[in-house]
Amino acid sequence: MREKHIGLGIFTFLVFVFLLGPLLIISVTSFEQGTVLKFPPESFSLDWYKNIFEVSGFLETFKVSIYLSLAGNLLALLIGIPAAYALNRFDFKGKALLEGIFVSPIIIPGIVLGFTFLRFFITYYQLPIYAGLFIGHTVIMLPFIIRVVSSSLANFDFSIEEAAVSLGASRIGTFFKVVLPNIKSGIIAGVLIAFLESFNNVDISVFMTGPGVSTLPIEMLTYVQNYFDPTIAALSVVLMIITALFMFFVERLLGLSYFTKR
Amino acid sequence: MRNYYKYLLILPGVLFLTIFMLVPIGMTIISTFFPNEAAADTSNYASLFRDSYFLEILWTTLRVSILTTIICMVLGFPAAYFIARMSAKMKAVLLILTIFPLLTSPVVRSFSWMVIIGRNGLVNEALMGIGIIQEPLEILYTPTAVIIGLVHLFLPLTIITLVGVMESIESDLLTAAASLGASRIGVFAKVVLPLCVPGLVIGGILVFVGSFTAYTTPALLGGQQRVLSTLLYQNANTLNDWHMASILAAIMIVVTLIVITCMNLLANKLNPRR
Amino acid sequence: MSLFTLQDVTVAYQKQAILQDFNLSIGEGELVSLLGPSGCGKTTTLRLIAGFLQSKQGKFLFREKDYTKVPVNKRNFGFVFQNYALFPHMTVFDNVAFGLRQRKVSKASIKDRVLRVLDIVSLKGFEERFPAALSGGQKQRVAIARALVIEPDLLLFDEPLSNLDANLRVNMRVEIRRIQQELGITTVYVSHDQEECFSISDKVAIMNKGIIEQLSDPATIYRQPKTKFVADFIGFKNFIQFDSRRQESDGIAATVQGITLYVQQQDNTAGLVGAIRPDDLRLYALDAAPMTVENAVQGKVLISTYLGRSYQYEVQTSIGRFTVNDDAAAAPLANGQDIVLEIPKKQIVLVD
Repeated sequence: MREKHIGLGIFTFLVFVFLLGPLLIISVTSFEQGTVLKFPPESFSLDWYKNIFEVSGFLETFKVSIYLSLAGNLLALLIGIPAAYALNRFDFKGKALLEGIFVSPIIIPGIVLGFTFLRFFITYYQLPIYAGLFIGHTVIMLPFIIRVVSSSLANFDFSIEEAAVSLGASRIGTFFKVVLPNIKSGIIAGVLIAFLESFNNVDISVFMTGPGVSTLPIEMLTYVQNYFDPTIAALSVVLMIITALFMFFVERLLGLSYFTKR
Repeated sequence: MRNYYKYLLILPGVLFLTIFMLVPIGMTIISTFFPNEAAADTSNYASLFRDSYFLEILWTTLRVSILTTIICMVLGFPAAYFIARMSAKMKAVLLILTIFPLLTSPVVRSFSWMVIIGRNGLVNEALMGIGIIQEPLEILYTPTAVIIGLVHLFLPLTIITLVGVMESIESDLLTAAASLGASRIGVFAKVVLPLCVPGLVIGGILVFVGSFTAYTTPALLGGQQRVLSTLLYQNANTLNDWHMASILAAIMIVVTLIVITCMNLLANKLNPRR
Repeated sequence: MSLFTLQDVTVAYQKQAILQDFNLSIGEGELVSLLGPSGCGKTTTLRLIAGFLQSKQGKFLFREKDYTKVPVNKRNFGFVFQNYALFPHMTVFDNVAFGLRQRKVSKASIKDRVLRVLDIVSLKGFEERFPAALSGGQKQRVAIARALVIEPDLLLFDEPLSNLDANLRVNMRVEIRRIQQELGITTVYVSHDQEECFSISDKVAIMNKGIIEQLSDPATIYRQPKTKFVADFIGFKNFIQFDSRRQESDGIAATVQGITLYVQQQDNTAGLVGAIRPDDLRLYALDAAPMTVENAVQGKVLISTYLGRSYQYEVQTSIGRFTVNDDAAAAPLANGQDIVLEIPKKQIVLVD
């Protein structure tokens, strides 16, 4: 089955041109000196990269996005690791229902989540807007943490835990000394994936931003709707580099099969 | 002792999602039936489904999602088949190239298409440059632009889902089919394709539901052309009509759940491995 | 005096009883094997002793103290797992030291004791290796060392050799027996491998469907199985269901379908099933049978199979079908040939 099929190869190549071409084009245009996006660029400069720092808001909201992802991750880990552990370790009545609840933030449309969060967190529960953002982002990160940690635990041999207990370790001690060290890479990968999920999120944040409170994707969205210069292209390149780094680490930790297994 | 211990571990997660997700979603749906805190009332839904503006947007959203799903399948299936048959090393490279756009910010990806299909974008510059057209084509801010953007958004997902399914087809099966006299096309049609059906269905659900509810891409590429998600946002944030926004949210949830349930049943039914 | 006793224990899983009113008592310093087919409850019994499982009813007495509710980590029993269950993120040294660290043993003493126990299992010099860099046999030695180093009151093995290849299995079981005898640790050993259990145990408990069918020393079980299940399990392939038996001056006369067979004196006073191993039967061609044949029965060869060292015959007789191993087969018997089957009276064991 290994013989090459020329037609299929060309077709696939064109699919990749479609997928990656646009990203390549904005990367190249980000080095254009003029104020209009041109391809191929007629000159070379890093002015637009400098402009990222000069446009008020980008640096600010970049920080907000990072804090938000980190804080959300922390809470999602605190909630998600015990849940993933229990779901993999024990038999439950209604296990399917519980698993369903934990994946539901992926299934429910993001825009619907965003709207209900606005309506309930801010208006009904009277939470400060940053708290609303924080909880909203935690909700959408939780399924990713649980999914990745669960797949690590699925490969974990729980008799190791029994070995530790039989040697005198307590239940909690066993978890920290024996279970946690062995699912460490899964946890780190889960954090990275959840981080990207939160960092790139528009659907939730778009409802909970306003004057003075914004995240980077929302700031970019607003900027693009009003201006059309290579600043966003330059910023996109920066984000793509971050994405590539994250992908590299996730691949190292989990392998590509994480992405293809469903 | 074991018994309450395990529930204790899962309790924070369940409580968290109940308070911050299930209750808000449930209340939002329930509230749509009580417009004036009076008795239950479904007239809102009835009048909405007679409103031609809404119907046009609903139709556009459905059309865009269905076309996106079909195009993703048509482009994704052959590409996935090609990738799945590559050597391990080549496959890894192609998968990385597929996953990279998947993880990239949707804002960045939509923006890249604004550069290409905009009024002064690359496509128009090029076409006018060689004189095929005199006036720039209006692609950006049309449903076509939204479809292009959504295909770009969901094609990686389609490809990796299908590669995953194709990889799970044991190569012995293909060899066996060939040894029994099947031609290359025969092997594909009689073995590969039937075993891929559940994957196609699952991939299809993901793309359809994703396109039906996507916000960023239509917001950036659709211009004045609304879809359900941008209409929901407009009602919630610009018009402050929360009742209408809630109704739209309820419709999106119901459609999503119905599609996912139906397709899950279908995927099981069509799974030839049972 | 017995070290521990399980008293009328019942264990159920999803409403199905695995052990029902189960009793077992083991003496100080003994190595007792639990042997039986899968699903017989042997692993459940072991996990119950270890404390991984709680019984629904009954008591577990250890040195006459009630241990029923004592949690696993307070029992001080060493457990050796089928899949070794080594901590993959720790070196051999840290694996073995784990139990001592839980017991807050001083650093110097830990080092001393770990090295000593690694010496006992012949793994000196492997301290800094990680489990992934060890062979199956080495992993099992680490697992044993880890269980031994805490100076357990009881050592428990759950099919420890089943993941090893055949040669290594024989070496390791000799090793386990040597260590157990050197240290004099009371040991419970679970396996489904008969040879393994017989070769290392002081006593073997043959289990079936949650009960112990027989608990004796290996030689007794081998020679005098008590029940049909035990006899079948340890290789008595042929069974004769007698209609009646009566005591004679020099043995027992047992009757089946009007034919009387003589059986030598038995401890079993009521059993009506005669069990005979295939190796203990003798077969003669009808026209070549000697003058005196004990318990002679006529029959026909159904199938003959060449086994290399011997022939195996399936023969049909008037009192049933028999499997016979005949290693003196100079001239093999053909299918369909008429034969005389000799059932030596010394070789028949009457079981329940």
